[in-house]
Amino acid sequence: MWINYFRIAFRNLSKHAFYAFINMSGLAIGIASFIIIWLYILDEVSYDSYHKNAENIYRLVNVYDFEGVGEESASSPFPVAWTLQNDYPDKVKNVTRVFNRQVPRTLIQYEEKSYNERGFFFADSSFFSLFDHQFLQGDPQTSLNEINSVVITQSTARRYFGEEDPMGKTIRFEKLLDLKVTGIIHDVPHNSHFSFDMMASISSLRKLYRGSLPKTWVWNPCWTYLLLQPGVADQLSENFPGFIQKYFYDAEKEHVTLYLQPLLDIHLKSSLDYEIEPNSNILYLYILGGIAFFLLIIAIINYLNLATATSAHRAREIGVKKVFGATRDQLIFQFLMESLLMSFSALIIALVIAELSLPVFNLFTGKAIFLDRLAEPVYILGLFGIGLITGLLAGLYPAFFLSAFNPIDSLRGQLKQGAKSGSARKLLVVVQFVVSITLIIITLGIFNQLRYMRNADTGFNKENILLLPISNTMIARDFEQFKKELLQNPKIESVTAMDDILGVAHNTHEFRPEGFPEDQWQFYPALVVRYDFLKTFGIKLIAGRDYDESMKTDPEKAVLINEAMVHHMGWKSNEEAIGKKFRSLQGEERVVGVMSDFNVTSLHQPAGPFVLNIKEQPGVVHWFLKYAAIKIHPEGKQEVMTFVNDLWDQWEKGRPFEYSWFENELAQLYHDEEVLGFLALTLTLIIIFIATLGLYGLVAFMAAQRTREIGIRRVMGASEWSIVRLLSVEFIKLVLISILIAFPLTWWLTDYWLSHFAYAMPVSWLNYVAGGLSAMVLALIITSLRALRASLTDPVNSIKYE
Amino acid sequence: MIKAIDLSRVFLTEEVETTALRQVSFEIKKGEFVAIMGPSGCGKSTLLNIIGLLDNPTSGKYYFLDHEISGSSERQRAKHRKNNIGFVFQNFNLIDELTVFENVEMPLIYLGIPSKERKRRVDEVLEQMQIAHRRKHFPGQLSGGQQQRVAVARAVVSNPKLILADEPTGNLDSANGEEVMNLLSELNKQGTTVVMVTHSQRDAEYSSRIIRLFDGQILAENFQSN
Repeated sequence: MWINYFRIAFRNLSKHAFYAFINMSGLAIGIASFIIIWLYILDEVSYDSYHKNAENIYRLVNVYDFEGVGEESASSPFPVAWTLQNDYPDKVKNVTRVFNRQVPRTLIQYEEKSYNERGFFFADSSFFSLFDHQFLQGDPQTSLNEINSVVITQSTARRYFGEEDPMGKTIRFEKLLDLKVTGIIHDVPHNSHFSFDMMASISSLRKLYRGSLPKTWVWNPCWTYLLLQPGVADQLSENFPGFIQKYFYDAEKEHVTLYLQPLLDIHLKSSLDYEIEPNSNILYLYILGGIAFFLLIIAIINYLNLATATSAHRAREIGVKKVFGATRDQLIFQFLMESLLMSFSALIIALVIAELSLPVFNLFTGKAIFLDRLAEPVYILGLFGIGLITGLLAGLYPAFFLSAFNPIDSLRGQLKQGAKSGSARKLLVVVQFVVSITLIIITLGIFNQLRYMRNADTGFNKENILLLPISNTMIARDFEQFKKELLQNPKIESVTAMDDILGVAHNTHEFRPEGFPEDQWQFYPALVVRYDFLKTFGIKLIAGRDYDESMKTDPEKAVLINEAMVHHMGWKSNEEAIGKKFRSLQGEERVVGVMSDFNVTSLHQPAGPFVLNIKEQPGVVHWFLKYAAIKIHPEGKQEVMTFVNDLWDQWEKGRPFEYSWFENELAQLYHDEEVLGFLALTLTLIIIFIATLGLYGLVAFMAAQRTREIGIRRVMGASEWSIVRLLSVEFIKLVLISILIAFPLTWWLTDYWLSHFAYAMPVSWLNYVAGGLSAMVLALIITSLRALRASLTDPVNSIKYE
Repeated sequence: MIKAIDLSRVFLTEEVETTALRQVSFEIKKGEFVAIMGPSGCGKSTLLNIIGLLDNPTSGKYYFLDHEISGSSERQRAKHRKNNIGFVFQNFNLIDELTVFENVEMPLIYLGIPSKERKRRVDEVLEQMQIAHRRKHFPGQLSGGQQQRVAVARAVVSNPKLILADEPTGNLDSANGEEVMNLLSELNKQGTTVVMVTHSQRDAEYSSRIIRLFDGQILAENFQSN
């Protein structure tokens, strides 16, 4: 009997190969997309969960709020970690600090080799007790105990040491310290909220800080992780106000709050100031998960529609079988078997499609996701479940529907398949269209928003600006000389330097503007810069003057503020702001100029008050110059690159030349949105494709059902086009209903998404028109084509059909 | 074998009530060859469907092999059907996706007969119907006469006590029609009861009794000797 079922199933498939193909491919593509998004989400929610104490590890967050200006910092002052452990030993089991000296690159040398390391950090010796990393050599408990020791990853070891055994060898740090390799670990898993290549003992820094680590409670550069006793996070947090009163400086006390952020929340829920790496956003997972879910549903709906549509061909088979003694159960079983055969074949095809498309997916999303992630019993069961549920859902309806045919009717060909399921079928079509239209509009909206963010007027120039990381270099120590040498090239228009990348990140610094009492230091977002900053970035000056090199007092006595700061201070006009006192740690300074506002970080955040300052004390200036920015004439890029590279090599012997384009650094801010846009577009195209297949099948079904009617109308003189109209009009109505549902739904969804951006491009009515029109045009084309075919059939044949 | 008492069948649609059979009573004995005749719409096919357990009467009693059938469930009727009745249709009703052999084999599958036994019986009946050389062909590759022989083979392969034929020659030319009638006649001589619906007086002459229907009622019963 089984063989008979399979035989019929197979012969049916090959007989209706076209339907079988669209039906199976729709389902396979649907399942493949679902699998890939599922893998993506699995990967995203797995961040940091590989640490065995992950649930009890927290990161300490510092909020500095000076009347709405300030920062919400992922990092804390040096002394906080160990003070917390000392004061609350019953709650805090262990602590570790992670510190990168707030520099983007670290020069590391070994013999002839030298690299600018991005993944170089210092940490307390407890780091490897809190976080679980697999040691290939060395001991996690002791490897960072000694001063000047460093643990490196496997691939870093290979990069520096090749086949040599790195253990005990020393590498040179910034030409300042020799660090001994005391451990080698597996590369940091990609699902970690931050990745490192080298982790050195934080005690090694004492030598650089004159004997001991910084004790200040103001400077907050250390990412501070606490391992707590289970369930005490809330109790510990209750102690924070007292803790702040006890230790933080008076000027800060009223403005600081601390809170604990669970380690497992960081990757998806954290977008603080000074994150180690940019994180993802859980909202995007909801969006993708939702799309993937709908995609699967639509693929199933599609399968269902096509399966019932093709059922007319099976009527006689069912009738004959019933006449010869098949029971309804046997027929239901047969049809479920067929459906399951299809869904599991589709599942296998889907796995092949997923396997083949994952490399492309990884390329676009920057992920490293592989299918073997699913090789766990629970996921295999899940996949099996998808096949089973899809098969059952898709098969149940036709199985019960087809097997219920009266044998006499089915033998006579008197089937009214449509009658019973007409409204259900229409509902399914409407669901498909609502989802498709909504996704088209949302995807257009995402792209609009992306284009807006890329092209928005941020208040500064982005093009043709070269960035060189210069922290700790000779260049930073004698920047003006380097600048003079650069400017000898006529293709270089202007040169400046800064302590963070404008528009990407910035620090906050202490200021005390006119009107604040002695002890009321305010922490304002600021960049430490060099001359020609406004010129290089094209920032407009709207009152007063720019920094002037000929005014020898400018570094000590002058700050530039933006318009938002003028408003924040309550000064009546930009002109009134000029000459106001604006004390910094360097002493009495005054506002000499007011700039127009610009976006100091990504457009996720609003542009707020901002200060530019020059620092020139010998010994510290190189601390504050981390990037040189070089504005180049558009026509001289290649030539200038060679020139800058040569100059770099003269200045920085043994330090590899590295650069980036300002534009690309800014684009990085929207990496998440870029990935989302790519995924949403792809999924939307897939959904439209599948919905199109389904629609085609449905029109074909309706045309088949009305063959006789069409034949009679043709005999009575109806034109081809009147038949096309007859068949299309019903679908057009359904599309219109879908539009009516999709528009408000879309408006609600996009409104929610865009509320996460400070600067949002509202979804234009044009997008709505485009979404509605494309669904309409698609439906029209498909229905007309199929209807035209039906109307062109010789009417004699269709009447004889009866 | 078959006993019908006051059988009526009324079809209800939303607005129209059509009476296809009105209080029909008759009896068919084992080994008979009965032809049911009458004009279009007289209730022939409805009667055949009830006899073949494809349909239930609206009222009246119907005994099949001494079982009262009227009002029984589709499941019970299916059981009687597959064990006792073979069908031959005007338009053959072969499954296009199955070969000649598989079409004939199908009723045996639903009877749960083991594969070896099935093969033996199908081969035997195909020989008997002189269609064995076409066993691997699909219905679409056969002539009408050949298809009807396959249909007859399918009807008899399970050794049914009753064969129901609904205008078995209606789609055939006279030569092929005669061949099919000879087959049915031969089966009847071997002891199988045959009930046939037909328009054709010539076909009816193969039978031992003709029941004439008109407007859902039995008009006459003629016994004939052949």
